[in-house]
Amino acid sequence: MSEETDMFLDSFQRLLGDVCTPAAVRAVHQGADSAPIWDAIAASGFVDAMLAEDNGGVALAGADLAPLLVEAGRHLVPVAFGHTAVARMLIASAGHALPVEGPILLWPTSAQGGLRSQVAPAAFEAGHALVQHGASFRLLPLLTESPVDGFGFPSADVDMDASSLLDYVMDDCCLLEWAAGLTALASAGAIDRVVEMSVQYVTERQQFGRPLGNFQAIQHLAAQAVEQSVLAGTAARIIFSGGATTVDALRVGVAKALTGIAAGEVTRIAHALHGAIGISEEHDLQLYTRQLKRWQLSYGAQDYWSARIGTARLADAEGSSVDFIRDRLAARVG
Amino acid sequence: MSAFNHAFRATALPGEAESFRAEVKAFLAEHAPVRPPHVRARSWSGFDAEFSRALGDRGWLGLTLPVDYGGGGKDAFARFVLVEELLAAGAPVAAHWIGDRQSAPLLLHYGTDEQRAFFLPRICSGELFFCIGMSEPNSGSDLASVRTRATHDGDEWVLNGSKIWTTYAHKAHYMIALVRTSGTSDDRHKGLSQFLIDLHAPGVTIRPIVDLCGDAHFSEVFFQDVRLPASALVGAEGDGWKQVNAELAFERSGPERIYSSIVLLDLWTRYLATRVKAGSAEIALLGRCIARMAALREMSIAITGRLTEGESPVIEAALIKDLGTTLEQDIPLEIAALIGEPDQPVNDELMRTLAYVMQVSPAYSLRGGTREILRGMISRGLGLR
Repeated sequence: MSEETDMFLDSFQRLLGDVCTPAAVRAVHQGADSAPIWDAIAASGFVDAMLAEDNGGVALAGADLAPLLVEAGRHLVPVAFGHTAVARMLIASAGHALPVEGPILLWPTSAQGGLRSQVAPAAFEAGHALVQHGASFRLLPLLTESPVDGFGFPSADVDMDASSLLDYVMDDCCLLEWAAGLTALASAGAIDRVVEMSVQYVTERQQFGRPLGNFQAIQHLAAQAVEQSVLAGTAARIIFSGGATTVDALRVGVAKALTGIAAGEVTRIAHALHGAIGISEEHDLQLYTRQLKRWQLSYGAQDYWSARIGTARLADAEGSSVDFIRDRLAARVG
Repeated sequence: MSAFNHAFRATALPGEAESFRAEVKAFLAEHAPVRPPHVRARSWSGFDAEFSRALGDRGWLGLTLPVDYGGGGKDAFARFVLVEELLAAGAPVAAHWIGDRQSAPLLLHYGTDEQRAFFLPRICSGELFFCIGMSEPNSGSDLASVRTRATHDGDEWVLNGSKIWTTYAHKAHYMIALVRTSGTSDDRHKGLSQFLIDLHAPGVTIRPIVDLCGDAHFSEVFFQDVRLPASALVGAEGDGWKQVNAELAFERSGPERIYSSIVLLDLWTRYLATRVKAGSAEIALLGRCIARMAALREMSIAITGRLTEGESPVIEAALIKDLGTTLEQDIPLEIAALIGEPDQPVNDELMRTLAYVMQVSPAYSLRGGTREILRGMISRGLGLR
């Protein structure tokens, strides 16, 4: 990370520490207005950071924005920060002016026109979606009604019959990969925070007359959780470590598959370490568990992405796994 | 991100290391012995003195040692590439493995000028092979309880006791052993020292131990009144524990903690490619293995980067080893779970390779520090111990 990125991250962390506390996130989940969180993030300018300098941004590369996206996940930022940053960058790079101010959801669709995700993104504060159908891109309004889904989130949906605010064609850009990559980065951050909370909890909670963390069984669970967190963080970094400006399906696949697996392992361990209180509505762990489970199902779960990697590997089965990983997935000197 | 996640900084292999890779591949194409996959699956347990000496002739043993001592003068990234290619090819590296990975760096760091001048060039040429004497019949994971003892006798030392599970002691020339020089096992980490032991010296008896596959890659070594010259002491008397621990980051973070099942994985991949249509579970498993391997490789390279900066990230290395050996163990488990279809014939070589890896893989998380010991170290890093 460059010094500049460190500076951005530091300032973003402070911003989220102020406006996106667990209490604020909880309130939004319970129906409070999410506008103050969005307004603070929008005013900070980070949502335009990927834009070229001519367009008011600082041309931040994906690899440099990634730590901010992870940080947003750590804070469970409920509004579509990453989606909007990418949507604005894509719209600008297609040569269009931005016609709306609020959050924009990324909306990849299948040949049949449905959203390529088992769960829709949460609607909090978002009014529009950038809808991709093949090479066609349209900016459409969301429906005003957002039914609450099985995870308790207001599920966004697009008004496909409305007139588009933008309508253009662009090849070689895949919103599924972008959306899955953003989900993986956010998940890595949330996983990291859950591990931190769990270690803190077992340090303080006393049972049998001593801290839970004194017990070897507890220590080993905590060690496994931190391992999964590091693996997820590394996998998420792979998305942009190739040095390319756009997203690559295999790199995203590694990140989405491994953060999905880690989310399952880490939430299981976190709840084991917290005991019954962790599953209660009043404890903050539930905010993370619900979000992580929902993200696991968003834009392809781990086996979908693993299969895409497996298919690519089988197409080139004669070489070694090491050569495949080096060619397709390794970090490159930037 | 929290401290542990910060510790794994994004690190790319430098260009020089990648160009070195082409030389390694060319060398392997010419010199790696042609052996079937179930033999190559022995990975870093495969012993071939001739191949090790060919590597020595090429200048690739002691790759990171100074050129003055016969080393390659390259950095840890180049060594990462060399080891990665050797393991991917299933080349037999066991003969030089311990000397190259541990004994030579230890002697470079703690040895006397005479020890360096004598041993390092001979390790680099493949003339001398080493083993490490750690475990004893009553000291496994509890290494500080070792009882093998060296006592002063004039200028010399007299050694009595035994070591067990010592990799290739029966084919090595020297052992570097951790033994007690003062106090008792109750003194734990105090009073331990490291010695260079000539395994052909009078009083040394070596008995190979056969494993569940019929291979003898480790041994039991007995010392009865073995006389050691003063020059056999490595580093300072009583500093053995500290010296042993300084090398652990090297031992636990390398590619050998990721790739032990790679010959099987690649053979199975080629088998899947010959099928008319691989099943969706098989394709997903293949992709999952590649994804885990890719992320672990990034972590291993990140730690290699920190080693080149002179750091010793022991806890991060423990974390890689636990995750890496879990992948190495999951590969045979999960392939076996899918390959067991009764009506789908599988070729004999794949079955032999799978059988071998299935049987030995439970030991992958034992060698070099057990999973349970590593998790204890990680929880200490978390402040829980």
